[in-house]
Amino acid sequence: MSEIIRRDPRREWIARNRLHPEHASVLAALGVNRGGDGGAVSEWLGPNGVVRKNPRAIGFIGPNGVKRIDRSGLQQGGQSTATTTAARDSRRTVTIDQPAFLVVVVPDLTGGRLSGHDKDLLGLARRVADADAEQPGAVVAILFGEHKGEGGGELKEQALGEAGIDRVVHLDDEFYAGFAPEARLAALSAVEREMTPRFWLLPDSPLGGADLGRRLALRLGERAATGVWQVEADNEAPLGWRCTARGAAGSLDIQRPLPRVALALAECAEPVDETRHAAEHLALAASIPTTLSRIEDLGQVAVDPAGVALAEAEFILSGGNGVKQWDAFHHAAKVLGATEGASRVAVDDGFMARDRQVGATGTWVTARVYMAVGISGAIQHLQGIQRCDKVVAINLDPGCDIIKRADLAVIGDSTQILAALVAMVEQQRGGQRDAA
Amino acid sequence: MQPDLQQKQQQQGIDVAVLVSIGRHPTTGRARRAEQDARGLELALAIEAELPGTRISMLHAGSQDDSSEAALRGYLGMATGVGMGLESMTLLEQPEGSDAIPALAKHLAATSPQLVITGARAERGEGSGLLPYALAEHLGWPLVNSLASVEKVENGVVTLLQALPRGQRRRLKVRLPAIISVDEAAPAARQSAFGPARRATFAITPTTPEADSELAQWHLAPARKRPKRLKIVKAASARDRFKAAASKSEGKGGQVLTDVTPEQGAEAIYQLLKEEDVLR
Amino acid sequence: MLETLLPILIFTALALAVIGALRRIRLWRQGRPSRVNLFKGLVALPRRYLVDLHHVVGRDKMISNTHVATAGGFVAAAVLMILVHGLGIANPLLGGLLLLASASMFVGSLFVARRRLNPPARLSKGPWMRLPKSLMAFSISVFLITLPTVGLLPEGLLEGSSSWLLALVLAGVVAWGLGEMFFGMTWGGPMKHAFAGALHLAFHRRAERFSTKKGGGRSTGLKALNLEDEATPLGVEKPADFTWNQLLGFDACVQCGRCEAVCPAFAAGQPLNPKKLIQDMVVGMAGGSDAAYAGSPHPSQGLGGKPVGEHAGSPHGPIVALQGKALVDADTLWSCTTCRACVEECPMMIEHVDAIVDMRRHLTLERGKTPNKGAEVLDNLIATDNPGGFDPGSRLNWAADLNLPLMADLKQVDVLLWLGDGAFDMRNQRTLRALVKVLRAAEVDFAVLGTEERDSGDVARRLGDEATFQSLAKRNIATLAQYRFLQIVTCDPHSFHVLGNEYGELGGIYDVRHHSTFIAELFDAGRLTFAPWKGGSVTYHDPCYLGRYNGEYEAPRNVLKALGIEVKEMERSGFRSRCCGGGGGAPITDIPGERRIPDMRMNDVKESGAELVAVGCPQCTAMLEGVVDASAEVRDIAELVADALVERSADDVSGASRQTTASTAAEEVIL
Repeated sequence: MSEIIRRDPRREWIARNRLHPEHASVLAALGVNRGGDGGAVSEWLGPNGVVRKNPRAIGFIGPNGVKRIDRSGLQQGGQSTATTTAARDSRRTVTIDQPAFLVVVVPDLTGGRLSGHDKDLLGLARRVADADAEQPGAVVAILFGEHKGEGGGELKEQALGEAGIDRVVHLDDEFYAGFAPEARLAALSAVEREMTPRFWLLPDSPLGGADLGRRLALRLGERAATGVWQVEADNEAPLGWRCTARGAAGSLDIQRPLPRVALALAECAEPVDETRHAAEHLALAASIPTTLSRIEDLGQVAVDPAGVALAEAEFILSGGNGVKQWDAFHHAAKVLGATEGASRVAVDDGFMARDRQVGATGTWVTARVYMAVGISGAIQHLQGIQRCDKVVAINLDPGCDIIKRADLAVIGDSTQILAALVAMVEQQRGGQRDAA
Repeated sequence: MQPDLQQKQQQQGIDVAVLVSIGRHPTTGRARRAEQDARGLELALAIEAELPGTRISMLHAGSQDDSSEAALRGYLGMATGVGMGLESMTLLEQPEGSDAIPALAKHLAATSPQLVITGARAERGEGSGLLPYALAEHLGWPLVNSLASVEKVENGVVTLLQALPRGQRRRLKVRLPAIISVDEAAPAARQSAFGPARRATFAITPTTPEADSELAQWHLAPARKRPKRLKIVKAASARDRFKAAASKSEGKGGQVLTDVTPEQGAEAIYQLLKEEDVLR
Repeated sequence: MLETLLPILIFTALALAVIGALRRIRLWRQGRPSRVNLFKGLVALPRRYLVDLHHVVGRDKMISNTHVATAGGFVAAAVLMILVHGLGIANPLLGGLLLLASASMFVGSLFVARRRLNPPARLSKGPWMRLPKSLMAFSISVFLITLPTVGLLPEGLLEGSSSWLLALVLAGVVAWGLGEMFFGMTWGGPMKHAFAGALHLAFHRRAERFSTKKGGGRSTGLKALNLEDEATPLGVEKPADFTWNQLLGFDACVQCGRCEAVCPAFAAGQPLNPKKLIQDMVVGMAGGSDAAYAGSPHPSQGLGGKPVGEHAGSPHGPIVALQGKALVDADTLWSCTTCRACVEECPMMIEHVDAIVDMRRHLTLERGKTPNKGAEVLDNLIATDNPGGFDPGSRLNWAADLNLPLMADLKQVDVLLWLGDGAFDMRNQRTLRALVKVLRAAEVDFAVLGTEERDSGDVARRLGDEATFQSLAKRNIATLAQYRFLQIVTCDPHSFHVLGNEYGELGGIYDVRHHSTFIAELFDAGRLTFAPWKGGSVTYHDPCYLGRYNGEYEAPRNVLKALGIEVKEMERSGFRSRCCGGGGGAPITDIPGERRIPDMRMNDVKESGAELVAVGCPQCTAMLEGVVDASAEVRDIAELVADALVERSADDVSGASRQTTASTAAEEVIL
């Protein structure tokens, strides 16, 4: 190996130019070269949460024996892992021992985890609880059913704390499982009697808070605000807050004082990300009276995702003229859990049923992800997928119109790509199952 | 034998009340039959087809004027079979701005149907979706929301399918009388035909209106567009923040992968599917 | 012996024919009333027969001549026979004429027989196969019995006891002939067409469609339904809901199958055979099953045709069953593209499209059974005034950069540009842009209604939703009444037809022009100059609603000629143009067939060898462009014109310069 150090002026320039698109990769490459360098830590988070720097640890001895400090980020690049851990640790731990009042949140806990909607709602609860720094309120979460958390043991509780929960009432009895609005309502009534919270916040999500929240509001005799998407402080209002709620099928904004029970939409507030709360477990003092249910849950019924109406589907795998192996296509849709769609040509050729046709002359779809396989993208088809969030295209022809519309386009043989995707998903699923 | 059987079936039929409201077309705002209420009526018609002898009564609380009448006739036009018993609907007349709940609760308590079907929420006014719950609380009846279909009615117990996200279904057994509410998951309403709609009549029942004073105090405005939440970037340095901001505009154009192996292509797609959280 | 037998035979046959006629008339009178001037109709009958009907029949010279010989011979022979043999006026002159007539009929019947030797699929078989024999029986027997009258045979030949048998045989043949020709004419034999056909011509529901001495007639707009009167049935539920002259029209059908041969739905294997449909109506009018039908059935996927004999009906029974089968299946009615090819070809002037839309009206207005996307489209039309459900306020969004003058600002212009619902379609927006460019180049004083425009109601009406059509039409008429303009120009033949031919009945009378007509006028007036055509070979597809509905075949061709394009005609063009499959709401109701209509049409284009097909209709553009792996490009005439536009210098508008452009264009084509 030659000992001559070859300088690459371009790379050095990129390493100095923090706005250069290749900056990070060049830094990483340079970082590898400097591997094993060790060196003192130049920057850390002090005990009071203040960033401390050691200027002596920064810099290096230049070719002329002069110490140089490179502010290009070259050194930062090497220390990136340290700073991110510092950032994670930067959450303040907050404990509220003597709350002035309580804000009760009933998260959906979809699949045993806090959903994004739940976290937004907890963010809103925190805003309401922390409005007066002198007299903070506590956020109480009522959890029904199993709570899986992000991991096991302590981490599991940490997820709750990090979402902004001070107290947790966990009701994990069997009779709360499935569709049990009457039992859940009885439990919430017991909470009301025992804690008399100032606010009840529930997510306005169909089949979750939307149902339970309305039942609760009527039981408490409150005229709930539903579809709330904005909450602002308002001294005129009886409870100190006013809210803006969607009404009339989303076509109206209703501004009104925030009532005791509010059902809020997703993104009603920013989720908590700077503090960590105690998530202390509480048990209800009084036992909850068991009610005789007039609704009996007989369990979930298996439904074929292929049968889901196209207009409602969230994820559509759509096939066109370029699909050669329809069996593989159907298999892929099944594995991905996608609803099947088709271009007009595929329908005309008899590969798919007419009600699966996507486009101006078929169904207008609103999927989150629309995956077009072997569809060139006739104008009518593109019109029909206008309202889709993300379009993925798999096609042999890089020049066809769907590529222009697609957020991600893969040029290649659709059968092979789908097969690879299916294998990948199956492998991931298998892995997850093993882990669980 | 045969007439006996028929009579027995006749007796099995139940009284269904369908609550309907004046809808509002989302783009033009024109009065129409409300989407969810129409699905509710469709559900009632499906029960009638299954259970001969079922009697459907339609109920609307509100004022009577030309545009609302046209919208209500939209429901009546769904009587496209022979002898469907939708020749008329009951209109609980009350001025605009009145609270519909007391009038409906009173009427339902008096007529005591076994099953009440409503849409989940109205397309006009507050549209809070509290009405079915308020009626359930008033009448003390069980309520099931987001109904997909009614499977059978037997001995005062109805077996239902409730819609879950992503087209999933849950089977429930509910003791009658009950209220069920219907949203977009229920089967779409049949076409409303001009002829039956034109022929149908209204049975107008006056009510003692109670003004909705609380609603009158609120500030109502056409819905504003909600700001789209930006991706929150918790960046340690200015450079990361810049990169995060810059990458957004970059992503708009769309990424095209050419000359990749199927595995690489699949990997890219897999990442996107993960990011969008559609794989479950 | 024959002298005594013949009058008896003739008058018995005539009496039976009269009884049959009365019975038949009673069947027709089951229908609803229709105001027709009976006397005027009868007076007009000869002209309608000789001019209008023969204009259609004359498209096939062979059949036309055959029919003239046979029918002419028969009518003359029948009248003379009654005189000579019935009333015994043994005038040799009359006898000679009778001989001549029956001979002519015999010659004609030979040709009829020849056609029946190996009949094409479109012809009905069954009783129709015996018709040439019956014709021959009649003509030969009449000829033979008349020979003694003119003295060509000794009077006594048939007198003697030896010729007793011969006379009897002859009388038998005469009876056969009379039976078919007189008795069968009114009792439902093949000859029924002559009786019903003549009366149908006289009492036709659309007297306006027949030519007068002043010129050719045309009547293609659907008749409005009276929605004010609640007693009027909403469309046709049962055969008796047709008007009496519609029923009469069905009875006139000769089952020649010309409609079947041109029907695009039939060719695509969709379950519609117009001939069978008319015969179904005849079956329904008389009551019974379709088992006796001997032509091609309604196609049916995988079966080779819907089996005959499974459908039955009665005058007061439903045509389409609520469940199961009645006279006709609903998908038969929804297969029609309303292209009017059948009506154009029908020698008996039967109005198939009217009947189909009448029956659709019942299905939509009374039963709410518009199939597939039909209900959604109608709901959209009611709620948003356009079939796509788009925000009506966005109708002019495509032209945000064009600064189109608005009628609301100008109030008075020469030309009102009617955009049609193509304004919401990305493809058609290109055509509209091109048309605006052309209008601006020709400095036309024009404006658009913008967001005040609504769907013309075409689709709603063809889908049978007369209520929505009339609501849209009345509101459009009210809007148009606010402004002053000389004419309406549109690039949508459907709007063109509805505005021009169907709004009149509701009080909106306008001078409407298709953009091809208007461009041709502009060119003739020297307001447009074109660069020579550099493209490949071009064919032209006649839109049904421009051609057959409105008779405009020349203007688009003239425009193409002006562009220097020599049109390579397709085999089916002009009045025989094959539909693109986009009319009558057919893409919305979307009844499955064996093939797709636009695919067949693109195949026609391919066979013409053209590299580009010029069209003049947004529907045709959409349908033809939707064909996969098409051999030809689809362009609207407006686009071709816009591309060829040359900036006009102020004084360069002389005819000479035009000639040079035309000749250079011709050279280009040759090169």
